[in-house]
Amino acid sequence: MSKVMSMQEAVSRHVRSGDTLFLSGMQHGEPAAAIHEIVRQKIDHLNLVCVLITTYSLLIGEGLCDRIMTAWMMQDIKRSYALQKAKKLGRLPVIEEYSHFSLSTALLAGQMGVPYLPARCLLGSDYLKVNPNLKVVDCPFTGEKLAAVRAIVPDVGIIHVQRADPQGNAQKWGSLGMDVEGINASRTIIVSAEKIVDPDVIRRDPNRTLVPGYRVAAVVEQPWGAHPMHLAGCYGDDQFGFYAEVGPPEKYEFYLQKMVYGVKDWNEYLKVRRELKGAAYFQKLEMDPVPSDPVFTGVEKVQG
Amino acid sequence: MIKQKMNLEADLAANQMIVSAAHQIKDGDVIYVGLGLPMLAVLLAKYTHAPATTVIIENGIVRTSLFDLPASTDTLGSQTYADQLNSLFYINCMGQAGHINLGFLGAGEIDMYGNINDTVVGDYKDPFYRYPGGGGANDVISFCPKTCIVVRQKKNRFRRKVDFVTCPGYLDGLPGQREKAGLPPDTGPSTVITDLGIYGFENGEMILKSVHACVGMTVERVKAEVEWDLKVAADLQETVPPTEEELEILRTKVDPAQIWVGGKRDFSKRFS
Repeated sequence: MSKVMSMQEAVSRHVRSGDTLFLSGMQHGEPAAAIHEIVRQKIDHLNLVCVLITTYSLLIGEGLCDRIMTAWMMQDIKRSYALQKAKKLGRLPVIEEYSHFSLSTALLAGQMGVPYLPARCLLGSDYLKVNPNLKVVDCPFTGEKLAAVRAIVPDVGIIHVQRADPQGNAQKWGSLGMDVEGINASRTIIVSAEKIVDPDVIRRDPNRTLVPGYRVAAVVEQPWGAHPMHLAGCYGDDQFGFYAEVGPPEKYEFYLQKMVYGVKDWNEYLKVRRELKGAAYFQKLEMDPVPSDPVFTGVEKVQG
Repeated sequence: MIKQKMNLEADLAANQMIVSAAHQIKDGDVIYVGLGLPMLAVLLAKYTHAPATTVIIENGIVRTSLFDLPASTDTLGSQTYADQLNSLFYINCMGQAGHINLGFLGAGEIDMYGNINDTVVGDYKDPFYRYPGGGGANDVISFCPKTCIVVRQKKNRFRRKVDFVTCPGYLDGLPGQREKAGLPPDTGPSTVITDLGIYGFENGEMILKSVHACVGMTVERVKAEVEWDLKVAADLQETVPPTEEELEILRTKVDPAQIWVGGKRDFSKRFS
């Protein structure tokens, strides 16, 4: 059964106001097209779980986030128009702070279906005083003190990948941040892919599948779906160009009107960007591919 | 003219800081490296005396081959030709299980016991200044047997006591405090390297081991940039100055665009 649909449909069917949302990509291949679609549909009261992503500043600035579970983000309101705008809207998100490892541990606990996992980070730090989902426990075997990290089970996880098949078998390569735990912990999964491929392509290289089709609710084909971030083997990034585009208030508002509310989907966004930046813009982001040697699988020869 | 002279001095001191940090690395070290100044030091060491060093970046990158200075935690340049690409969780498991011997971090603020604050100045709920947060720094300093901290020294960043412990150093300085909190034994900050001098830890307290005399630094200047009554080692040294070769490599190979060394960190112009 094909789960292929448009981003508009995938988001409107599966992302709801009040959801806890895992956003994949730790500076590598974040689901930027999906994030823009959520902003366009104004789905609010979201609780985000993510690390080092870039375009989520649009969700913050448009007042769509109640809470962000993360380890590092620009929080100096004097330097962030997105935060200033959220404050003006009365929708400044609460930041629930983790260290990177403890947040990935919370998602792994979610993936495992256990209420918490122990870790040796955070001990002695003040994270324990400000985040109620981090506590200290005694090991029942050794008596050692350990940090207990409460499980996170996102309602919806969105991952952008290089390729997926119509059933949702999704393959991503390059650095993986907390993609594997985050997407597998999520109850409902949306896959956006640079390219939808024949299932045979997946089955000839199944080690690359981060999440299998039976867990996936929707598959969207979306070339340049992680832009302005990079994606291994596909394209480079314009991360700092994006910062400049949404930094100053008037530029931020221009971006929102022109690139989010002013277009119907990501393909139109790409078209507008090409018009604004010139045809050479996307060429500059193309990469010199480095191919790997083929890896073989196979079956036994039939003995005569 | 005076401004130019001061800039020159600052550049020389910054170079000294990076070179001194690189000197902390032994060939074959397995290093958990943060972005920015720590990355510069580790790359310089790889180009010079420590080519066999393994570089570990928190989002899942393990590599031994050389690469361009990354402007962000993840870049195509730091991914491509890596030895292994895995996950944030996996990298930290290796640290937690004791397989990474050295951490390299920057810091927002540091105090006399090596506690780092990357979170808030003032009250947590109503801060005077808000840093972006610790990212993975807490994980590094919790797990690694030794952690070097590379940071520009200013009095308001070298506090007697930080307002928020993002990364535990030796906590209140009493013996065994890290272990009592549950942290793995024999871990914690080992060295602090600034643009003024180099510090070690004695009984959990920062102690000045060496001053960057060759770029004009003195004990008085170092003391003027800390908030507490700084301990100075009885055998205080003058920091080993950079060699011409090290400076050349730093300028031409590690940071050819002068992104960090020359303070020209303006990436917005990349696609203008």
